[in-house]
Amino acid sequence: MSTISLLGLILLILMVLVGGRQGWTAFWSLLLNFCFLFLALVLVAIHFPPLAVTIFSGVVILAITIFMGRNDLAVTVNAYYASLLVFAILLLLIILVEHFARVQGFGLEDTDALEGMSLQIGLSFQSITVVVTSLSILGAIAEAAMSIAAGMATMLDADPQISRQDLLTSGLVIGRQIMGTALNTLFFGFFGGFLALFIWFAGLHYSFGTIINDKIFVNELLIVLISFIGVLLTVPVTAVMIAWRHQMKKHVND
Amino acid sequence: MKKESQRWWLLLIVMMVSGVVLMVIFSHNQTLYRRPIGQVLATKQLSRQKTSDEFHNEDRLTSQSLKVRLMNGRYRGRQLTIANHYTDSGAMDQHYKVGDQLFLSQLHRNRHGRLSANISDLKRDEVLAFLVWLTIALLLLMMRWTGLRVLLSLIANALLFIIAIELDQAWQGGHVLAIFSGLAILFTIISLLLILGPTKRMLATSIATLAGTFLALGISWLVFSWTHERGIHYESMLYVTQVQRPLFLAETLLGSLGAVMDVSSDIVATLFQFSQVNPQADFKKLFLAGREVGKSVMGPLVNVLFMIFMAVTYTSALLLLRNGNSWGYTFSMSMSLGTAQSLISGIGIVLAIPVASAMMALLLTRGDAGHVND
Repeated sequence: MSTISLLGLILLILMVLVGGRQGWTAFWSLLLNFCFLFLALVLVAIHFPPLAVTIFSGVVILAITIFMGRNDLAVTVNAYYASLLVFAILLLLIILVEHFARVQGFGLEDTDALEGMSLQIGLSFQSITVVVTSLSILGAIAEAAMSIAAGMATMLDADPQISRQDLLTSGLVIGRQIMGTALNTLFFGFFGGFLALFIWFAGLHYSFGTIINDKIFVNELLIVLISFIGVLLTVPVTAVMIAWRHQMKKHVND
Repeated sequence: MKKESQRWWLLLIVMMVSGVVLMVIFSHNQTLYRRPIGQVLATKQLSRQKTSDEFHNEDRLTSQSLKVRLMNGRYRGRQLTIANHYTDSGAMDQHYKVGDQLFLSQLHRNRHGRLSANISDLKRDEVLAFLVWLTIALLLLMMRWTGLRVLLSLIANALLFIIAIELDQAWQGGHVLAIFSGLAILFTIISLLLILGPTKRMLATSIATLAGTFLALGISWLVFSWTHERGIHYESMLYVTQVQRPLFLAETLLGSLGAVMDVSSDIVATLFQFSQVNPQADFKKLFLAGREVGKSVMGPLVNVLFMIFMAVTYTSALLLLRNGNSWGYTFSMSMSLGTAQSLISGIGIVLAIPVASAMMALLLTRGDAGHVND
């Protein structure tokens, strides 16, 4: 048995033991997300427009993560709308930032790994950077939107007649509570993955000035910062959206 | 309330002003660099031709000549002409436009007094500074004191990270796993101290986090030995300058730490509130309530890390695919490590759920629950 299948099997068993039916679904959401990620790869490779692939994968992966991650429609529907809106805003930011930063493709540090490969593959690496950045932040947006939506749903359960202002405030308060750990998750997730690169920089005594202009480092840090911004934006967007939808519902009921 | 909003406006003005100052500094910092920097004044396209590789990928190769004015150093203000080649894909080359600022290498003057140089890279610090500013501004304006605490914890962690890497260099990579395991403990304590303050909740969260993370690491170590690391291609690891397995495990350890902290602190915080509403709850009830929280957050959290670990492999995977490789080969040479990392982190996240629930349930039912309220 290969290492990856055994690790996968252990994760599946643990998820079912701890989470029961929901753990089972969560494991499948992981597998499905992998399939759609791979599909996005293949679609771009056969010359589908990268931006269209990004939007398609974003919409699908957010849906999988949110609707299969939690079994409560009052939470998931709101979280999904909010995360779609945040995704749209971020996509614009990503396109803008990548346009100026031009961190596409590979850096000098990649030279060894690229030996013997043709780099002239006729795909714009600039748009591929947009795909990569957008995909890597999807999980974080979904998670943040779900946390806020779940917290606000609890408030609504406790007091269905809560005013719009109070509901909104409670959403923002929940946002403050989750922000610390949410940003930590991203910080470690990204920096852990690039430990080797930082050791490389230290080993070759890169100067500070070289590092902050280095293609790979800037690319990486931009993704981290954009994902931070994504999580930060998710808080007010989700809170405002739920408060607004609650208000609409109250109007209809009156 | 009015004072509060006044302070907010003050903060907004401070952030705006500091943003403008920062951008002015970063757009006029060329003299701080020792490497020569030039700005493109004009470009001329010299030739453009179609290329095709052995896999029938079609691309276009363009040559351009750039008129560049030096912005720092001995020859500041002087102009020179540099040739540049770029492809439409732009994997390792760059299409330069008027206004771009470039780092130059091998700048020298020839016998006739003319300057020549090669282009090494684009100057990117301005964009980076802008985005750093935007993030900090949003963090402080939206979260205020919480934002400041989060910012401090991120800065402290970044500094620790740098120290640990220096330490790793000093020991020439011999103890990478030991160093970063120690670092993981420090990271956990510092982050949680800054987020939760010095409370028993923080202690419980730390222990659950470390237990989950290190258990997952232990399990993966066992799995690696049993399966003889079949399907794990360390040679596909990028930027490696040290022994690969410990480095990979250290990367995974750090990568999952934040998410495990996230799930642990969710459970601890919820159980703490739960026990205040139901002071009579026994161990079993508390444990099950903790598991309930864990259940609903584990799926999304595993997916957060999965997307992060997998998306970074996307560019190399695409290149492999376009170089005529099969799906299977592409997966194993570019995505297998990311997949293993996601799975190990997932195991850590799931394991933290029973650990955190049990620990908090024990802490709250020991009879002196009143003391937990600190």
